[in-house]
Amino acid sequence: MNKKLHSVSPESGPNSNLDLTRQLAQSSSAFLFEPKNIVPFQTALGWQKDFQKSLIEKPFSPQAVWLLEHFSCYTIGRGGNKKNLLFEDNKSPLPVFVIERGGEVTHHMPGQMVGYLVLNLSFHKKDLSWYLRKLEQVLIDVLDLLGLEGKRVDGMTGVWCEDKKVGSIGIGCKRWITQHGFSLNIDCDLIGFEKIIPCGLDKVKLGKLSDWIPGIKVCDVKPLLRESVERRFKLKWENI
Amino acid sequence: MATHDIFMPALSSTMTEGKIVEWLKKPGDKVERGESVLVVESDKADMDVESFHDGFLASIVMPAGSSAPVGETIGLIVETADEITAAQANAPSPPQSASQDKESSSPQVQERIDSADISKETVVKEAQPTAPLAPEPALAQPQFFKDGRIIASPRAKKLASQMGVDLATVRGSGPHGRIQAEDVQSAKGQPISVPWIAESNAPAKIVTEVSRIEKKSIDSDKPPAAGKSFGSRGETIAFNTLQQAVNRNMEESLNTPCFRVGYSILTDELDSFYKQVKPNGVTMTALLAKAVGLTLARHPQVNAAFSSEGIAYPSQINVAVAVAMEDGGLITPVLQNADETSLADLSLQWADLVKRARNKQLEPQEYSSGTFTLSNLGMFGVDRFDAILPPGTGAILAVGASLPKVVASKDGSISIRKQMQVNLTADHRVIYGADGALFLKDLAYLIEQNPYSLSS
Repeated sequence: MNKKLHSVSPESGPNSNLDLTRQLAQSSSAFLFEPKNIVPFQTALGWQKDFQKSLIEKPFSPQAVWLLEHFSCYTIGRGGNKKNLLFEDNKSPLPVFVIERGGEVTHHMPGQMVGYLVLNLSFHKKDLSWYLRKLEQVLIDVLDLLGLEGKRVDGMTGVWCEDKKVGSIGIGCKRWITQHGFSLNIDCDLIGFEKIIPCGLDKVKLGKLSDWIPGIKVCDVKPLLRESVERRFKLKWENI
Repeated sequence: MATHDIFMPALSSTMTEGKIVEWLKKPGDKVERGESVLVVESDKADMDVESFHDGFLASIVMPAGSSAPVGETIGLIVETADEITAAQANAPSPPQSASQDKESSSPQVQERIDSADISKETVVKEAQPTAPLAPEPALAQPQFFKDGRIIASPRAKKLASQMGVDLATVRGSGPHGRIQAEDVQSAKGQPISVPWIAESNAPAKIVTEVSRIEKKSIDSDKPPAAGKSFGSRGETIAFNTLQQAVNRNMEESLNTPCFRVGYSILTDELDSFYKQVKPNGVTMTALLAKAVGLTLARHPQVNAAFSSEGIAYPSQINVAVAVAMEDGGLITPVLQNADETSLADLSLQWADLVKRARNKQLEPQEYSSGTFTLSNLGMFGVDRFDAILPPGTGAILAVGASLPKVVASKDGSISIRKQMQVNLTADHRVIYGADGALFLKDLAYLIEQNPYSLSS
């Protein structure tokens, strides 16, 4: 829809005497963090909070992207249904975190690449559905580079390969500053998903890239994710 | 003393309603400007909704777990602790069905009308204790209650502050007496501005409009701004959904290699034909759309569009006409089969499309199926301009005002004739310079020499 909307005339812009060049250059720059070691969930959460807070206070402060792996844990969105945790309270085999993102329960573990993006959507597009589709596209691009066909499923968020879900997405947003992001199963152990109803989707089949590409490792996929995020969000990595 | 509504925000351009995940504050809690008050979810995305004011959360209108349409009031913020009780008493009561988030929004609306009616009755009783309790005529609904809480749309509030209108004096015509933008304008005595429509290509109308506004400004001592604006000085106003959609299309057009080609068309014949058919309800928009439609039928290349597979020739000739919306953005209602439809039918269809566009009731195919677009700024006296090509089509025609010009004819004689400048913007991958030129030459011939053929 809205396909044919257009402007009547190309009025000249009112911002001729404002030099926004420097600030605009800032708007596409982001720090990229790729921790070598596995990161506890709460540590990464703290990092994101710090960046989100500074971006809320100063919209032109740097954006940030993390590509990392977590120790095994479950996370559930604030609106998530606890019924999707198939174990009783306090009897979880793994730590459970209730976090400020949309969506139901999911599972992180080593062998799964997690991408967190703290971006100011005011510089991109103030549209969360656009943002979710972009994150999906990042994963679809990576699968494509690996010779796999990544697919969306109508009405759902995430990326599927054949009939298995390989990529999950959940984000939170405050004043158009995002947090959280995506996860992509690479060569992880999927057994932890049996204790939950992932994403609240009954009967969803989970997959990992090593199902199709035996021997693939996180370190093979990380550079592809880095480039895809950079390209899809038109980011320039800051020197750290 | 003031009450501020918290509205269901639009998290994306396609979102029509959102689900309240959690209220981070309880009624009575102090809130600071910028502090998160609640969390709204759409799809897999959560958004913290902040308070724009320092004060107290007086009331939660829509509880956690419920869904509300975008723009709906979901909570109330007051400035002082003393106002909490008053605001709570007058808050729209939450719908009983609210905990079931699959419930459609209509019962909620019904519920709110009921609650407004009850408070209205109380006010009437208290204000006129001696008056007989006659049933209130629908139009005389007082929308301002004893504590000064006024129900008005955000647009109406914005307009009121811009125009210096006291909302307490405005009569609301919206649902349960809600004050709409139109009410503010009629209270100010201003003509209700409807979407600007290309109903004439003569500049005369604007002159009377201006003189009337000038006269008004002397009366009211507050000269209204000449141009239209959605915000006040120093403010930044978020784009509305329609404006966002337009922005996207405009940005997309930068990927299209466009060129422009212009033509001056004499309109004396067209104007005299228009005078003849006007009593039958035929509008200038219909005449122009028909002329363009008939010419496109002879120039299918100009009706075509670029696609990744090649040049796409549509099965119909659908002329879209750009209409600016009063609250920002614009929309392009489509006159289907403009080449084959009679002038009378085109005029009727256009009136209906514009009416429904104003009420935001158009179906997507009614504004997205155009194969060629017409944009007319002639009624503002613009002599020429160029338009941006809407994505998915091959060409757009920008039409200026028809103005008297000194014209030299072929035999060397000089006369004063009315002339209108048109400017075609086209996608060069599909339409070449010669295609555009021949199309314009034919269109000019039809309008200059043979306008009567439009009625066939």
